[in-house]
Amino acid sequence: MNSNDQSTTISTFSSGNGSQTQTEKIATQATPAPVRAPGRQLPASVLTPPAPPPPPHLDDYANIISRGQVDALRYLAKELKGKTIKMVNSTAVGGGVAEMLNRLVPLLSELEVATHWDVITGGNDFFEVTKAFHNALHGSPYELTKAAQDIFLMYNEQNRERLHFEEDLVVIHDPQPAALIRSRNKARSDWVWRCHIDLSNPDQKVWEFLRPFIEQYDAAIFSSQSFARQLPISQYLFYPCIDPLSEKNKELTDTQVQKVCDDFGIDRSRPIVTQVSRFDRLKDPVGVVKAYKLAKKYVDCQLVLAGGGATDDPEGAAVLQEVKEAAGEDPDIILLDLPPWCAFEINAIQRASTLIVQKSLREGFGLTVTEALWKGKPTIAGAVGGIPNQIIHKLTGVLVHTVEGCAFQIRYLLTHPEFARQIGISGREHVKENFLMTTNVKRWLLLFRLLQQARGKKSA
Amino acid sequence: MSSTTISAPEKPSAKQPRTAFYFNTSEHLLRIGRQKANNFSELLEALRTCPDDSIFQHTFRTLQEHHFIQQGFSNDFAHWSLFACHEPVLAEQLASVDVREFTSIDGLRDRMVEIVDEFLKQHPRLGSQPALEPFYFCASDLLVLPTSFVADSLPSFVNGLRQVGIHSIQHHFIEARLRLHRMSNDFSQWLDEEAGLPKVADAIERIDIYTNTMEGVRQRIAGMVEQVLK
Repeated sequence: MNSNDQSTTISTFSSGNGSQTQTEKIATQATPAPVRAPGRQLPASVLTPPAPPPPPHLDDYANIISRGQVDALRYLAKELKGKTIKMVNSTAVGGGVAEMLNRLVPLLSELEVATHWDVITGGNDFFEVTKAFHNALHGSPYELTKAAQDIFLMYNEQNRERLHFEEDLVVIHDPQPAALIRSRNKARSDWVWRCHIDLSNPDQKVWEFLRPFIEQYDAAIFSSQSFARQLPISQYLFYPCIDPLSEKNKELTDTQVQKVCDDFGIDRSRPIVTQVSRFDRLKDPVGVVKAYKLAKKYVDCQLVLAGGGATDDPEGAAVLQEVKEAAGEDPDIILLDLPPWCAFEINAIQRASTLIVQKSLREGFGLTVTEALWKGKPTIAGAVGGIPNQIIHKLTGVLVHTVEGCAFQIRYLLTHPEFARQIGISGREHVKENFLMTTNVKRWLLLFRLLQQARGKKSA
Repeated sequence: MSSTTISAPEKPSAKQPRTAFYFNTSEHLLRIGRQKANNFSELLEALRTCPDDSIFQHTFRTLQEHHFIQQGFSNDFAHWSLFACHEPVLAEQLASVDVREFTSIDGLRDRMVEIVDEFLKQHPRLGSQPALEPFYFCASDLLVLPTSFVADSLPSFVNGLRQVGIHSIQHHFIEARLRLHRMSNDFSQWLDEEAGLPKVADAIERIDIYTNTMEGVRQRIAGMVEQVLK
């Protein structure tokens, strides 16, 4: 290797099947980079999962949402004391659903509404099928075979036999465990299907395969109005949420932010444009690179693409390769493939950023947008999925539809800092009102009370 | 030679309230309705037929969801007309509707229908022009909850005002008229009838909610009452 070469280090982690670390160095032409040192490895702090911090208690949120709001939650939960809830999803780590349940479950339990969390199991064939279903439900063409249906049903049946459903309220998250409804005891429990994905334009065959299961639920919950389907059951809108006290969202000191930037070679003296997402084509990381390159003709900035793979996402490595090819030899493009436990580092990178981008092509809700807004960061995002619920154009952020639009907004926000600051402030207030974990707790309590009232009327 | 004495305006004199003011709050669950509109003609039809709680959601309730916006947020119909349909004329007309002028949903619905109907009569070709995004009619399931703040005096009223959650301000100041079926709000009614401050009550009622954030409204109400206490 030429001794003058400057390298951008990318570390790839494969999670879920035991960890294996590979480091790949890409030789670039020598470019002055005041912070980044050649051949820098990822810091040791990210190589192993940190011990999970203890979950916050309800009173810890009083400084954020006010004592009055915390009291309102206690009052709501009073009539549900002694009742039980079960939450079921497909993965315990990685992705927004697991992150959300990690907080929701303890908070509900603290309110004396005991909540249990189960994760379904399955082989690689099951997760290949459900990933294909995921893409098909987002509108990708897919040939639904009988073999795929049989695999889906077989693993649902295995989990049905393994799990017990004795709670008053059972919540099934997303399509993977949807067929567990066959375990329902109508006399005992209410069942709710919580859909976190964009169902506005699903592959019809896959949807028609799932629909008979969904219609058996007492209610369905979606993250956006546009995701709702024509169903004979009540459909509620629960915006997803973030936890303001989590490692990913808590306040950090400037020293902490600086250290993370130093570790990853991010130069805080220059504008930083960041997208935080899995390496997934639906997040359009290649499009972000293109937008950055268009904007770079007018404004100096760095681009950070920080992502990783959830345990149920086999495509990540292929997409990362596409992004590397698009990035080429630009030393101002920093690609970080991080393991799912790097919440603290993601927090610091977001806080260090001048702008946040989320140029998704399809999106469930887009919690990375919520995280960015909560940190008061001016945010540019694709007008898809649940993002327009978070970003009211030019009030709480800016919405874009194309690479060119994204490039223009990068240029505009970097050259109009006062406007950027103002939308950052409004964005944070929007999250405080609508997308915090405590609001989510409130919605679950309200729904549970409504279902209990309806159940009480039926039995009267 | 006669002289004219100019006196300072009399400071309103409060009386000890006979009954306490109980600060309540309201929480809502958002239900996705079955109706949606892809253009103005469909919007008009849906406005005529959607449930009352849909009209409530998109006019009253949405103010709570957007209470912090400095530039003002009017209602979802106006917002959609501008951002999804690029029709600023209709958007401004719909935005001019002040929900506090209505003591029932029926009246509010009729006003919205009247505006859209009139607009389409003047611009018939715009009725079928597709919007960038559909308008999804939603509705609220509402629950009223108590808070820990009870005021039996003006100082404790101000204290409650300053500390209670913002949803409580919305509940008492904006949504109250649907409960009271009168052109007033809970704060003004209590200050007038219990504390003997009709002028303060009237001034509070005239605070413009569309050019203030809800926090700004709170501060103004508290400030007006504090003036009496000085």
